[in-house]
Amino acid sequence: MFDPEHSLSVTQDADRLYAKAREDGIETVWERHTAQQPQCGFCDMGLSCRICVMGPCRVDPFGEGPQRGVCGADADIIVARNLCRMIAAGAASHSDHGRDLVEVLAGVADGTAKGYKIRDEAKLKKLAAEYGITTDGEDVLVLAGELAEAMMEDYGMRRRAINLVARAPQKRRELWDRVGLTPRGIDRETSEMMHRTHMGVDNDWQSLLLQGMRNALSDGWGGSMIATEVSDILFGVPTPRVTSVNAGVLKKDQVNIVVHGHNPVVSEMVSQACTAPELLALAKEKGAQGINLVGLCCTGNELLMRRGIAMAGNHLMTELILSTGAVDMMIVDYQCIMPSVGQAATCYHTKMISTSDKARFPHMEHHEFHPDNAEAKAMQVVRTAVENFVNRGRVFIPVEPREAMGGFSVEAILGALGGTPAPLVEAVKAGKIRGAVGIVGCNNPKIKHDYGHVTLTRRLVENDILVVDTGCVSVANAKAGYKMPEAAEMAGPGLKEICRALGIPPVLHLGSCVDNVRILVLLSALADALGVDISDLPVAGSAPEWYSEKAVTIAVYFVASGVTTHLGPMPPITGSMNVVNLLTSGLNDVVGATFAVEPDPEKAAVFLRQHIEDKRRALGLDARRV
Amino acid sequence: MKEVIVHPKRCVGCMQCMPACATAHSRTRHLVSAVLETPQPKPRVHVGAGRFNEGFPNRCRHCDPAPCQLTCLTGAIYRHAGTQTVMIDPDRCINCASCAMACPYGVIRFHEDPLGPPGRAVAVKCDNCVARVAEGQIPACVEACKVGALTYEERDTAMKRQTLAVARSMSSGAGEPVLPPGVGLLRTMKESQVQLLKG
Repeated sequence: MFDPEHSLSVTQDADRLYAKAREDGIETVWERHTAQQPQCGFCDMGLSCRICVMGPCRVDPFGEGPQRGVCGADADIIVARNLCRMIAAGAASHSDHGRDLVEVLAGVADGTAKGYKIRDEAKLKKLAAEYGITTDGEDVLVLAGELAEAMMEDYGMRRRAINLVARAPQKRRELWDRVGLTPRGIDRETSEMMHRTHMGVDNDWQSLLLQGMRNALSDGWGGSMIATEVSDILFGVPTPRVTSVNAGVLKKDQVNIVVHGHNPVVSEMVSQACTAPELLALAKEKGAQGINLVGLCCTGNELLMRRGIAMAGNHLMTELILSTGAVDMMIVDYQCIMPSVGQAATCYHTKMISTSDKARFPHMEHHEFHPDNAEAKAMQVVRTAVENFVNRGRVFIPVEPREAMGGFSVEAILGALGGTPAPLVEAVKAGKIRGAVGIVGCNNPKIKHDYGHVTLTRRLVENDILVVDTGCVSVANAKAGYKMPEAAEMAGPGLKEICRALGIPPVLHLGSCVDNVRILVLLSALADALGVDISDLPVAGSAPEWYSEKAVTIAVYFVASGVTTHLGPMPPITGSMNVVNLLTSGLNDVVGATFAVEPDPEKAAVFLRQHIEDKRRALGLDARRV
Repeated sequence: MKEVIVHPKRCVGCMQCMPACATAHSRTRHLVSAVLETPQPKPRVHVGAGRFNEGFPNRCRHCDPAPCQLTCLTGAIYRHAGTQTVMIDPDRCINCASCAMACPYGVIRFHEDPLGPPGRAVAVKCDNCVARVAEGQIPACVEACKVGALTYEERDTAMKRQTLAVARSMSSGAGEPVLPPGVGLLRTMKESQVQLLKG
């Protein structure tokens, strides 16, 4: 429960803007979280079932009340079905985001997606080759069309395995084939998951969870991977660049436009419109020095990675940022956009624009962006934003921005290493870098804002563990100063030496939450370089403040790919100790990795360090006592 | 005589007792139609959050002597002879709130009620579902509670069960009566989260 005596964030801008928001009478996520207490214990334990209308049902965790739903499902089946539906929803979300990019790619090929183009031909050709498309002398647009078609097939039911699964190390692919985890089609696995969890279909909690893993893999090595790769083709492969972060990136004397959501399809067009000479001239006319585009959440990460666009904040900052009174327009697409933001904006002059045919929100104006009209739409809404500048009231920008470096695609990382993972592998072998942890995921009002992310990162980095991050975590760590090469000073001696030699920070920003697949690709390269499976590597995953179904899916595809993963908040599974035990220990025998749950990041750091040292020992490398 | 007994350690905070109570005190007595009634029926049991966000169903204890009854100048508050339930006669209530000031548990609310006089607010609180019990049903909150946090039984039966549980835990080697492991695990996690928020 939120206690006003205690600060709700480790960041200064959040605390100051929270005070301002309350002063302005804005209800935030923290008030709503408090109002929800106590939260339903059946739901918290995964023991409530709303799947059919013989129910709704719940199982008494104390063993005296009902122990089966009306259909006869026991706690194990109910918990497994609920968790699997979370996985399906998460996979559907990321993969549908990927689908939108494939549609734009097809639109570029047939000339209907005006304003979009192929920005990285090399990546297009590389992907085409991976899909078995002949690239010799082919026209780029023809190639783009053929690749889009081939990716659409990945979404369907014509394949025995999704194409990009071939990127995984051979041992991993063999394991997936053996256990029956190789994903066959992106939409197919999600559909089958929903089918199996219908009443009276799959009622073995173990086989349900196996399908849950295959479904998650269909996102990690399918939909999400396509999202990232096609984004790179259309908008460019990210390269390291310095930008600025926190609420201070908003400018008093400029038109401030905030893009919030996930898909670069909209934000890239907005970014283009913000540099249009006629709109810049209009801004001058209205008394503004320019047009300042900043990001929130993952669409911000997409722009930051490729354009160095500044980042205003992560999930729990999305309401607070409005209370600056400095946002002339917020443009949203989909995912993680709290339905409350439109209401919060009514306190200010801020114009709220929704853009996706699949995502509408209260108190927002709807301007639907499609591949064929996005360029014109972007010009239109940015013009409205500029015209809104004159309506500003009191502006409160609580902090000065902080510098941060982003843009570490796998290509950029390998580039910094001289084109091969060998130097990184050598540093790990020599023990200078003990291993690596991917810290990913969201914010959650159950955890002090950014405390989990920043605390865990600090403890790992000072113990010579390289951190890569994405999504909301990357914003937290950037605000905490971990994203500049100077941050090497905060690292342990071995990691510090490597960071200084390469001129990189100890925490590498790999992108948005679909970009977690970059971690999979990087791990595959490391495993191949060492001739081992991913599960043999001294690496781990962590989601210290996760909240969403997408995060569940990411965590599951990490574990199913062989990466042991820590979660901060407990997923709704404690109603079945069978499920808890399988996920936290039994999976080791199936996929060579497990989950671990620990809300306290200090304790989680010890667990993760121990895990990494254990993996080192198994590889015959030196191992420290933790 | 059976009565409603609260077992706080069992409450999982689902709040299902609240809509069940409101429905039982509506005119139509069905959830779907009850929410459409004017005035809206309201729950007389209130689930609050403890220090670790655990649930607690707060309801009238039907004290004897009852402080609310002692302060009620109009005599609207009386004791139901058969069930020893402290009742409020809405027609005699003058909405002075003296009873709420005297109530140590904060379980009295003031609003227009479907079962009270039209057009004015009166004091409303738990009536032990006397109407339901007269029809052979058990109180609505108990019926809704699937975890045994609310039971309807003889006080002696509940006390004997508690005596037995304590006695067993005192047997050599038995230790504290343990929670089911999943319940214990979730509570540990939630307690840790709340501690960290305050840190």
